[in-house]
Amino acid sequence: MSLLLPLLFLLTAASGTAVVLVRDPARQIFAIAGNGVVLAILFTALQAPDVALSEIAVGAAAVPLLFLVALMAVRAGKVEQASDEGREP
Amino acid sequence: MTWLPYAVAAWLFAAGLYGLASSRNLIHLVGCLSVCQSATYVLLLGLGYRWGSIAPIFYDHPPGTPAVDPVMQALVLTDIVVGATLTALLLVLTVQIFKRSGTLDPEHLKPMRRKGDTR
Amino acid sequence: MTPRLRLTLLGAALAALLPGTAAVIGRLPEFGATIAAYGERINAIVPKERHVANMVSAINFDVRGLDTLGEEFMLLAAITGTVVLLRGRRGEDMTDRAMRLPGRAILPRSEAVVLTCRLAGPLLMLFGLYIVVHATVTPGGGFQGGVILASGTLLAYLGEGYSGWRDVVRSHWLDAMEGGGALLFALCGLAPMLVGAAFMQNVLPFGTFRDLYSGGLMLIENLGVALAVCGGFTQLFLEFLEETREADGPDEPGEDTA
Repeated sequence: MSLLLPLLFLLTAASGTAVVLVRDPARQIFAIAGNGVVLAILFTALQAPDVALSEIAVGAAAVPLLFLVALMAVRAGKVEQASDEGREP
Repeated sequence: MTWLPYAVAAWLFAAGLYGLASSRNLIHLVGCLSVCQSATYVLLLGLGYRWGSIAPIFYDHPPGTPAVDPVMQALVLTDIVVGATLTALLLVLTVQIFKRSGTLDPEHLKPMRRKGDTR
Repeated sequence: MTPRLRLTLLGAALAALLPGTAAVIGRLPEFGATIAAYGERINAIVPKERHVANMVSAINFDVRGLDTLGEEFMLLAAITGTVVLLRGRRGEDMTDRAMRLPGRAILPRSEAVVLTCRLAGPLLMLFGLYIVVHATVTPGGGFQGGVILASGTLLAYLGEGYSGWRDVVRSHWLDAMEGGGALLFALCGLAPMLVGAAFMQNVLPFGTFRDLYSGGLMLIENLGVALAVCGGFTQLFLEFLEETREADGPDEPGEDTA
């Protein structure tokens, strides 16, 4: 048990760094979801089931979805701009 | 081990700041901000942990069993949910910036430029 | 400012902060040794005083209920800001039906997806409700349950398609849930004052320890939070998804009329 927590802390540091270092927003969404899952596991190990439940619902499902949809909105706008150059949306 | 959780929190915050400073895409930047936010979760829960304690839920264990700090957990719990709605607000602002200026790169944003005014 | 200069500045600032951070980390209480006295007292007192098993819920809804009231309105403000920004461009009257998608092929969903969503959706909603009502007994509560309920409606999106989802999820109901939940929480604070108690004093009978009914007023506050979070998050999903539709609009100037 005393080895599990340090490992999870290091894993959290790694997954948080991955979110920053993955530059492509489409791939970053997976990093964000992974970070959410790792955080939820860490919180469970830290005896915080309430927080882990909240993190797994928000950090691993809701927030990546919001990022995905924002990216879709931007992509749709890009396609539109490319298809009719000159007309402002 | 005694300093590792706090060092991890500091590292996450610094990594998030680095992302904020170097990001070339506003959606990526919002993701980096969420890393900064997770640093506070790690710090608070690290402060509230005690070896050999149970979760602060006295269902299986009788009241009086040593438990970890519930105050930190209550703080982090509400922060996660409210933080998600703030992330949504930032993402909407990002989408609006894109609709107005046609770019997501903060380097190319000029203050008060009205290229694509929607109204 | 060039990116290189900015990164240099950030590096210099972080290097300057490093000794201070190291000193602070050195002075923080040793990890896992003790917990704060406040939390210790709450763990010792609250199970007897409030007949509640889940300390985190007890803090959120009773001991520090005023803070949660503030959080509740932060949530409301953030979601209102998002919805106003998105709807402001789109027009208020367009919010109640699915926008059409000219020129985008409608991909048929496989039957396996539809079946899985129809089976898993109600189960997920049931799980969310379970989490909400057992706030004072087991891990969970209005915040977590509300998000789970909101994600459950997304399974309807996956299974029934966008217009089917919009037929079920009405924007006006979500507004009412979101605002009504926050109002319910505020009323829970004000109602005890009618009987001469303090703001948000727990005047209802506390119920039985480890029972579904335990905690008195906390249960109503928990319900208010669940309503506000569920309504708010579903509203966020709805408005965000609507945004991807609209950007695909037809070519006439008022694309919003699609």
